[in-house]
Amino acid sequence: MTLSVQGLSKAYSAAGARALDDFSLDFPADQCTVLLGPSGCGKTTVLRSIAGLIRPDAGRITVDGAAVFDTATGVDVPPEKRRLGMVFQSYALWPHLSVAENIGYPLVAAGVARAEVARRTAAMLEWIGLPGMGARYVHELSGGQQQRISLGRAMVAKPRAILFDEPLSNLDARLRERMRLELLALRQQAPFTSIYVTHDQLEAMTLADRVVVMRAGEIEQVGSPEEVYKRPRTRFSADFVGIPNLLEATVRSAAGADLVVDTVVGALAARSWRSDWRAGARCTVAVRPTLLTVQAGGRSGRVVRSVFQGASTIELVDFDGTEVTIESLGEERHAPGSTVSMKPAPGAVFAVLDD
Amino acid sequence: MVAVLAVIMVSYPVVVVTLRAISKQEIGSALTFEWISALVDSARSREALLNTLIYTAGATVLAMGLGVLLAFLSTRTDMPGGRVIGFLALLPMLVPPFILVVGWVAIADPAAGFINIAASALTGSRTSWVSINTMAGLIWMTGLFLTPYVYLMVAAGFRNSDAAMEEAARVSGAGRLRLLYSIVLPLQRPALLAALLLVIIMAAGDFIIPATVGLKAKIYMLPSLIWQNHASFPHRPGLAAAQSLLLVVVGLLCIYFQRRALSRGGRYTTVGGKGARPMLFSLGRLRYPLGVLALLFALSSSVIPLLAVGCMAFMRYWSPYALKPENLTLRNFNYMLFEYPQVWPSAQHSLFLGIAGATACVALAIALAWYVIRARGRLAGIVDYAMVLPLGIPGIALGVGILSLWILVPGGIYGTLWILLLAYVTAHIPVAMQFVGSALHRIHTELEDASRVSGQAWAGTLRRIDIPLMAPALIGSWLLMYVVILREVSLVILLYNPSTIVLSVGLMDVWQNGFYPELAVYSLLLLVLGVIPVALLWKFARFS
Repeated sequence: MTLSVQGLSKAYSAAGARALDDFSLDFPADQCTVLLGPSGCGKTTVLRSIAGLIRPDAGRITVDGAAVFDTATGVDVPPEKRRLGMVFQSYALWPHLSVAENIGYPLVAAGVARAEVARRTAAMLEWIGLPGMGARYVHELSGGQQQRISLGRAMVAKPRAILFDEPLSNLDARLRERMRLELLALRQQAPFTSIYVTHDQLEAMTLADRVVVMRAGEIEQVGSPEEVYKRPRTRFSADFVGIPNLLEATVRSAAGADLVVDTVVGALAARSWRSDWRAGARCTVAVRPTLLTVQAGGRSGRVVRSVFQGASTIELVDFDGTEVTIESLGEERHAPGSTVSMKPAPGAVFAVLDD
Repeated sequence: MVAVLAVIMVSYPVVVVTLRAISKQEIGSALTFEWISALVDSARSREALLNTLIYTAGATVLAMGLGVLLAFLSTRTDMPGGRVIGFLALLPMLVPPFILVVGWVAIADPAAGFINIAASALTGSRTSWVSINTMAGLIWMTGLFLTPYVYLMVAAGFRNSDAAMEEAARVSGAGRLRLLYSIVLPLQRPALLAALLLVIIMAAGDFIIPATVGLKAKIYMLPSLIWQNHASFPHRPGLAAAQSLLLVVVGLLCIYFQRRALSRGGRYTTVGGKGARPMLFSLGRLRYPLGVLALLFALSSSVIPLLAVGCMAFMRYWSPYALKPENLTLRNFNYMLFEYPQVWPSAQHSLFLGIAGATACVALAIALAWYVIRARGRLAGIVDYAMVLPLGIPGIALGVGILSLWILVPGGIYGTLWILLLAYVTAHIPVAMQFVGSALHRIHTELEDASRVSGQAWAGTLRRIDIPLMAPALIGSWLLMYVVILREVSLVILLYNPSTIVLSVGLMDVWQNGFYPELAVYSLLLLVLGVIPVALLWKFARFS
């Protein structure tokens, strides 16, 4: 099963900026594709267009090669005929129905026989870890349980793909982490095609087979979580996956895409997305805080602040007016005002940004 | 399609009334301004204009004063019995106003009213302390009838006021009195203004009191004169239309300003607001005296007149000397329920119209609310505006508009029950739509999206998700529609004929015959027909 989107555009007001601009992407079968970006980047518009809940201005959406939406041919299959599942931000569980009725709803809507509905609903309750809770009502359950019911409802009719619209953002931090791991475990048990929208980079990193960073209605970068995190392509991507240090650098030497660059913290090995570099050119390097270590002494940097945060220590060091964030697992802290120097972790390669 | 018809339905009466007011004969005849100028040229019309003005002003001042005071005392002070008084203050909304009129006649008739009988007994000679047949009497009754509407609109605001804002004022050095007039009351300004305009519309367009006690006392007002210009000689429907037009213009202006007041209320809404309960003002030594006074007013708006009606219903005849044990009888009940020829046909008509009208209002309201809020059709804005119109049109004027059009259609619905049904639906669809609309607004759209994605088309989604979720609001608005249709007089007084008479209009006949004990029985029947289904349905709805 593959789901594919081509040339999707959508503007919410005639004059306003486009929420989506010529957006094209394939969603491979049995993989989880995460659309990552800040609010207003168009990720939810993509998801709701695929579900059929909003109508794009232009473009084509196919499931298994058959168009469910196409402005060229005028095809627009209504949401109830697209055979998709969706997990909503607000869970969207119906308060007037019991848990079992909520989960069994897609089966009833599809005309499945009553005994079969009961059987599959019970099996689904078992699978999401809420056996025997079918007779309860939604308001009696916790946020995490409600989220699981929402997932059960989305999966029960064996949809062609499951769409997740920021499903964990209403949970508190601890529960969010647990649900994230549970979701991962469920997916590993029985893989299914899913499209997951979030603005939380940690969720994206954990759950995705493929991360799509979006910005202002367009794709900024596509890659595996590791790839996007280790080699952000642009300033925006780097910022969004949580890399605070974007340092101005000068190319010392270049061998194709592999460079050695000079920065305020010293010489660093770096890899670029391009290979047309010459010595002396200027560029920006994304420096992850965990790949630097602080050494007492030296002359180059002055500690501004040192923050103990339990598992790690964050130190903010000023190098000639450029503030650099360093995160270390060690418990050694440096007094504010003391001078330090910086060393990259052995073998570390940093990303050179395109813009 | 439904949206277009609905817009036409609520807007043509205004057009028709305007046309009729400038047409010599029926619409389509030569145009003339004689009716418009007759508004002030005719002595009777001029008198009615002045009376309506005094009546409206008096009733508005009384209702606002009483409503705001009762609301403040029962929600924001340590007055004893606040909850009971709050309940009593709202009770008149459930009772048909006609019963209250009969009750006040029983209490304060200049000759045979209970108060004057008691006064005669005290002084030993025939005396008349109070009379309901005066402008003051009319204002007193109307003011009391309208008080619950003011109370309802203002009490909620008082109850939900944000304690933090008042605490901030106290900490900034404001005393209790300053707090009251600089913070507490100004924060309610939108609600106060909206209530004021609503009461003006209701008082100016009120029909029952001007047409009963008002005509008996020869105090003419616009609504009663409109009726007379249609129903008795000399027929002057053109003048009636001009008078209706005046009421419509005033009503629509009030509605316009009310809407503006409510929409500008946005800047008064505060974030959060779910804080501590606002503090209660201490009344000190006035606690109990004020409590007794408030209780007395609350009781006199419904319970006391109802008791008087109940008392009157058992009396053999109604005269200053009739209040004796040997004059008590069940004859009135026997006569009205089993012998009076009009009672069962009119009860049947009322029940049919109440049930059919309420059902039609709610069904149409669901369709229109869906169209405006969810489908956001091209006409959504127009529908939304048009649905406000009937709120500003007094019943009698709406009746003139509907009559003047349908009388022109030969073989049409004029003279049938259907024109009454149409009138009820036209007049009450805005309120039903407000109920259903606010219920639909409260349903998160994701609940519908989830159903669509689960494979249910929009019709199934409406049936399985929206309607069950809105059920309490739907039942509530159905009951409200049923009760107001049952009691409605002004709207249908021009539209009924002897074969389509309804209970509430039948009351007017009995009133004109002057048999008050029978009138009391008849009005109690109206109350029972209204209250029993409501009670049954309410119980059923609660426990299902």
